[in-house]
Amino acid sequence: MANIGIMSFAHMHAYSYAACLKQLPGCELTAVWDDNIKRGRTAAKQFETKFVANLDAFLDSSLDGVIITSENMKHRPMAERCAAAGKWILCEKPIAPSVADAQAMVQACKKAKVGLGTALPCRFSPPLMEACTQIQTGEFGEIVAASCTNHGQSPGGWFADDALSGGGATMDHTVHVADLLRWILKKEFVSVYCELGNQLHNKEFKTDDVGSLQLEMEGGVQVSHVASWSRAKSFPTWGDVTIEFIGTKGVLWVDAFNQKINVYNDAAMKAEWAYWGGNPDLGLVADFVRAVEERREPTVTGLDGLRATEVTAAAYQAAKTKKRVPIKRTR
Amino acid sequence: MKVALIGCSGMGNVHAQMATNCGLKVSVFADKNIKIAKAIAKQYKGEAITDGMAACERTDIDIVAIATPTPTHLMFVKAAANAGKHIFCEKPFCRTASECKEAIAAAKKAKVKLFVGHVVRYFQEFEAMKTQIAAGKIGEPGFAKLYRGGLLPMGSESWFRDFEKSGGVTFDCMIHDLDWLRYVFGEPERIFCQALMYTKRVPFDYSQVTLRMKSGLIATVIGTWAHPHGFQVKAEICGSGGMIQFNSNEAPMAAMKREVKTGPDWALPSSPVDISPYQLEWEDFIGWIRDTRTPRVTAHDALRAVQMVEAALQSAKTGRPVAL
Repeated sequence: MANIGIMSFAHMHAYSYAACLKQLPGCELTAVWDDNIKRGRTAAKQFETKFVANLDAFLDSSLDGVIITSENMKHRPMAERCAAAGKWILCEKPIAPSVADAQAMVQACKKAKVGLGTALPCRFSPPLMEACTQIQTGEFGEIVAASCTNHGQSPGGWFADDALSGGGATMDHTVHVADLLRWILKKEFVSVYCELGNQLHNKEFKTDDVGSLQLEMEGGVQVSHVASWSRAKSFPTWGDVTIEFIGTKGVLWVDAFNQKINVYNDAAMKAEWAYWGGNPDLGLVADFVRAVEERREPTVTGLDGLRATEVTAAAYQAAKTKKRVPIKRTR
Repeated sequence: MKVALIGCSGMGNVHAQMATNCGLKVSVFADKNIKIAKAIAKQYKGEAITDGMAACERTDIDIVAIATPTPTHLMFVKAAANAGKHIFCEKPFCRTASECKEAIAAAKKAKVKLFVGHVVRYFQEFEAMKTQIAAGKIGEPGFAKLYRGGLLPMGSESWFRDFEKSGGVTFDCMIHDLDWLRYVFGEPERIFCQALMYTKRVPFDYSQVTLRMKSGLIATVIGTWAHPHGFQVKAEICGSGGMIQFNSNEAPMAAMKREVKTGPDWALPSSPVDISPYQLEWEDFIGWIRDTRTPRVTAHDALRAVQMVEAALQSAKTGRPVAL
């Protein structure tokens, strides 16, 4: 039985991961810690577990692994505390806003000999897994270009506050696609150009809310990506993850969450899409639990998180300098 | 008014029908391939010839419609202008911006009307989007994504597949969307582009653009001639108070034949409308000749569109953003 704790419910994904832990066999949501005591207590009550206000007590407890779902800027100090306490870690994406922080986290976990995973659940999405399989068979030839989107509704709050998030929509919504392309194509990113905007929410945010990226991967693969918080409040769902792969022998289009029924509910006065596809979060959390039990690295590693952060960090640099920026791989 | 059509395959066919719908008589059909010219001339009871330059100079003609490969446009525009004919020129206007300027100068000197068929400005779905934006339905627009393309077209002697002639999907196809973005959102600031441009290993094209407008609006534009079949247009405009989406696959009809000569068939969604956008552009052109209206698109707009695609292709070559 793996004992898993959750650090912080600042990120809404914490609620989904907690529900997964409750649902999965062979693990338990053993304790919750949060620097926002009220939020932590409420969440602990909701998921019928204990709230531990003292961080040392939380980390001294019988926990085997910890899921960190705090604000992006707090990931590093929290991960370092967990690593020092010998806990396996699953860290919400982006692993950290800066390359230096992401590197420090990877190194701290390596030193402490604990597993570090990055919460990039798209690798557990059935349509994306199928796309990966089909492309890796080579039936579509060599992939020479791809155009991607990761749109969302505005999460607001700390997400739009640079001091806590380290960046806006482009920080939030580039890492999934960057990781998917690295995973599926088995290639690294080499450069990025980016235009950033803060113009979809009447400039209320202290961050960007849309980014248009042009990326290059090893072997000259041309990639475009749109990261945004552009979905209107009246839009029927939260957003999307889409990729169009252009291969020498064909084209593959994947709209990962386009498994829905249209619902027209007079009480809501807007059309809604009820999703009926698989739950990628469940695959992600199940993999983490197994990694904890088997004392191995989670499938999507801290290094994968670092690679994705290298892409976003370079994109912000490109937007600032209005130049294409090389993406350097660190260790 | 009588029309001479130069270039009778592909878009030439469409323009013959549209000019006829507008009450014009298409009386001369010029095509290098006399078989193609004869076939269409028979249909419209006109005359088939091979020499497009001779068509421009015919004294019994008032309008020259040019639907030939892009690199030949300037030659025919100049000949038609010199002969005092009004000109309908298929887009892209010319193969380079300097050629466009030469064409504009020739028409100005000859005091003839020169119209360039940027037909997307006349498409009902695009006009509907423009109307909704103008009505403030999505607040202040801040982002646009436009997607267009499908099968790599053939064209006579496969000229679309010759990058030097057509400029690939960026020049021939994406030009519609770049023009529309400028039409709706004003002048562009800078452009970045990645395009395959028929590199050795890929005998097709796929182009991806990031565009910043002077208004601050950001656009991502995708053009594809990389698909094995089909044709699709997608558009999305996001603003501070909502968003607009269009997808041509969501159409009122789709037809699929059980057997076709050329191989597998596919359902190409179609969207029949009261008046074809191609006819609307002809009506605009004719109204302009008769001084009853100002056309929705000018030769200067068409020049700016060519400048935008030239900048995109320069960016694709250098890997740097290009200021406009």
